[in-house]
Amino acid sequence: MYCYPFLNTWCPIKGRAVNRVPTCVNRPRPFLLALLIVITSCSGPKIEPERYQTASIASERSSGPVAELHRRAISAINQNSYPQAVEFLQRAIKIEPRNAFSWHYLAQTYWHSKQFGRCNEMVNRSISYSTRLDDLDRANASLLSQCRAS
Amino acid sequence: MANKSKPKSNRRNKKLRFRKLLAGLSGIALLFLASYLYYLNYLINLRFDGDTWAIPSRVYARSLELYPGLRLSADSLQYELGLSTYYRVNSSPESGQYRIFNSAIELHTEAFAFSDQIEPARRIRVKFNREQVTRIVDLATSRELDLLRLPPVVIGSYFPQNGEDRVLLSIEQIPQTLIDILLAVEDKKFFQHFGVSPKSIARAMIANFRAGKTVQGGSTLTQQLAKNLFLTPEKSILRKINEAFMALLLELRFSKGTILTAYINEVFLLQQKKVAIHGFALGSQALFRQNIEHLTTEKLALLVAMVKGPSRYNPIKHPAVAFERRNLVLRVTRDHRIISEAEYQRLIKLPLATVNRLPGINRFPGYLDLVKRQLNSSYSASELSARGLRIFTPFNPLLQRNLEQGLKSGLARFDQSDLQAAVVIADYLNGDIQALVAGKQVDFPGFNRAVLAQRPIGSLIKPLLLYSLIENGKTLATLVDDKPIRIRQSDNRIWRPQNFDRKFHGRMSLYQAFVKSYNLPFVHLGVNGGLESLAQNLKQINLLKSDLIYPSLLLGTSEMSAFEVTQMFQVIANRGYFSPLTTIRQVSDRSNRVLDRIPLDSYKLFNESSMLQVQRAMIGVGEEGTANYLAQRFGRLTLAGKTGSTDDARDSWFAGFTQRELTVVWLGKDDNSPINLTGASGALRVWADIMQNQGFKEFKLDPDDSLEWQYINRFNGGLTKRGCANSVLLPFPQHLVPDKRSRCE
Repeated sequence: MYCYPFLNTWCPIKGRAVNRVPTCVNRPRPFLLALLIVITSCSGPKIEPERYQTASIASERSSGPVAELHRRAISAINQNSYPQAVEFLQRAIKIEPRNAFSWHYLAQTYWHSKQFGRCNEMVNRSISYSTRLDDLDRANASLLSQCRAS
Repeated sequence: MANKSKPKSNRRNKKLRFRKLLAGLSGIALLFLASYLYYLNYLINLRFDGDTWAIPSRVYARSLELYPGLRLSADSLQYELGLSTYYRVNSSPESGQYRIFNSAIELHTEAFAFSDQIEPARRIRVKFNREQVTRIVDLATSRELDLLRLPPVVIGSYFPQNGEDRVLLSIEQIPQTLIDILLAVEDKKFFQHFGVSPKSIARAMIANFRAGKTVQGGSTLTQQLAKNLFLTPEKSILRKINEAFMALLLELRFSKGTILTAYINEVFLLQQKKVAIHGFALGSQALFRQNIEHLTTEKLALLVAMVKGPSRYNPIKHPAVAFERRNLVLRVTRDHRIISEAEYQRLIKLPLATVNRLPGINRFPGYLDLVKRQLNSSYSASELSARGLRIFTPFNPLLQRNLEQGLKSGLARFDQSDLQAAVVIADYLNGDIQALVAGKQVDFPGFNRAVLAQRPIGSLIKPLLLYSLIENGKTLATLVDDKPIRIRQSDNRIWRPQNFDRKFHGRMSLYQAFVKSYNLPFVHLGVNGGLESLAQNLKQINLLKSDLIYPSLLLGTSEMSAFEVTQMFQVIANRGYFSPLTTIRQVSDRSNRVLDRIPLDSYKLFNESSMLQVQRAMIGVGEEGTANYLAQRFGRLTLAGKTGSTDDARDSWFAGFTQRELTVVWLGKDDNSPINLTGASGALRVWADIMQNQGFKEFKLDPDDSLEWQYINRFNGGLTKRGCANSVLLPFPQHLVPDKRSRCE
């Protein structure tokens, strides 16, 4: 049995990538395989950007109003309520504007809502306020690369 | 026979013709009546289909977030509550009320629908320790709260052209007591008649005939509504007929509840300067500073009493007459058994309890003008004055109060009656315009100097010029010459710039030249490459006014408004991150649907490390430069700023920032005549007075690993040590740290 992972093939008709399940055949048949790709490559579900798991960053051990707003924002992000998450985070930033976590979560929210330019700007602000917190720095670096790649 | 029958048939013919004529005339009259009724019905349709009233748009301040640790005094919270419709009581507060006891404020907040969530009504206690909130307790659950958002204060409205203002009530929101009192006084048979009450009309006619003048009206509530909505107040038979027809049509078309609600929202109660206050809801807010659902019976009675003659029974202008009329209404209320005899006896002794003076309309005209300007790109004037939009701004009433007080005391220093001022306060970390005054008369709506007055900015250009020079490889230790210079301009004229003191100070570090605001060193460096970079940087923040770049740009001859200067310094204070200055954060419609949301934007325009060096130099201005008055006034507190003066001392500028706020002050005269004040002797003093009121946090430079801090000699730029004469600690990019050593003296 030979299996061909037809993942992320490009559909010329739809002009976008589609996600295919692996296809298995008894023996390698290149022509049949090519035909299969052409026929099936336009029927798969649209690939969404890899879901960025939003969770509190470990080094954030703050309490008080900003941490409360962060919790509400993360909950809103995980329920896909991005405008609401933005509201919570903007409130947090107004209370404590130099909090690197608020800017990071705001960047995440923009990434989820596919506003990659804004995501980029907000990560930069988070980086500018981050004071050697390894996990936040790693999360910022990862998010920045994803914002830029998207 | 024939002779006899002829007249008979003639008479019959005449009768027949007369009947035909009568039928014809009746037909025409009916047709006319039907057309006329159709026309009146058309007028009703015009008013009732869609929006019955033009509702002014309301502008809201920022909502106050309360949390333990917040720097806020009880007095400030009380001021904020006083701006809204909260009412101080001495007993346990009910909705919309608060009380003060010990070092706490107990408050019953009202529910408010924000776009992200509905903040429910709560009974809370806020405890203070001096200038700080220490605890917030939800009294219903005894739970401590981490965070509480108060409903925002309405700071202004954009009124329709007819000047009418109202707050609409739905039938469910109208207090039953108000309905009972209103109907008892104005229309007892409201639920029985069909719009017109012939009995009442006949009774009124007899009473008026006996008295020889108009002493009684026979109009039903529906007729009054028809008159208020569609007709003029003239007293004529035709108007009365129209009123009756329209009342009939209204009753045919709408339910009693709809008519009653329309009446309660339409009735005219007060004139407040150019604004006419309509409806009981707004009348209640204006007269009692309370929402109508919280009014007690005697206050409702006063509102109903005013319906008969809003001017005559105005309780502020004619309290005695209004008092008498209110008690008459209470008597009718008692007669209709709405209240008991004992209650009546108690209520008639109570004072009117209205405000002494109606609150000012749009008390912050400069700020509201800027909001309108920023909204104008998306909303027309008619939309703003009719759609009842809810405009949420970052306006901070507490900062505005401090600003107004500081400006007043600051201007009192100078004995110049025609000296004008403009001040803008912004949160430079996010671009929020938090407070603004457009002239020395802070509550006078006129020329908005903060936005429209374009004036040369003088040395306020130097921080951006310094940034441009640092980006071109200079450091704060770079040596510069303060010596004469002649520049031939494109029109062949020779420009000979000078220092403000018209002296030359020889060689020194760029830092020293900056803090002392010497012009010539900057011109020398500018003409050797700095000018183009400066123009480019101004262009990046949309402040380059002309494509023609003159060398005099180096000395701030380009004109800007205080608002534009604030934008320029926002980028500097925010270490190169540009956040567009805004007075609008969100616009919603009447049903709380978000129409526009202005997100927090932040673009990195300039290099952070280079901007940090500029910030360090600006701290030096306050410590030992042209603004060293700050060091005298605020001691060791670190502040960053820059003074600006123009030719012949016509304009006096100061732009400075703390840990959070950026404040720009301009002083000058409208006719551009000299004020004989420099930035240091004028605007700086006003700035300091504003800050003194504010209780600010000092400015701190952000850490930056790419910079190395070294002591240098401010005159020869060489490395030195702490404690040596003329030493100053400055940041340098690691590859540009001076290598020459200076002797420690």
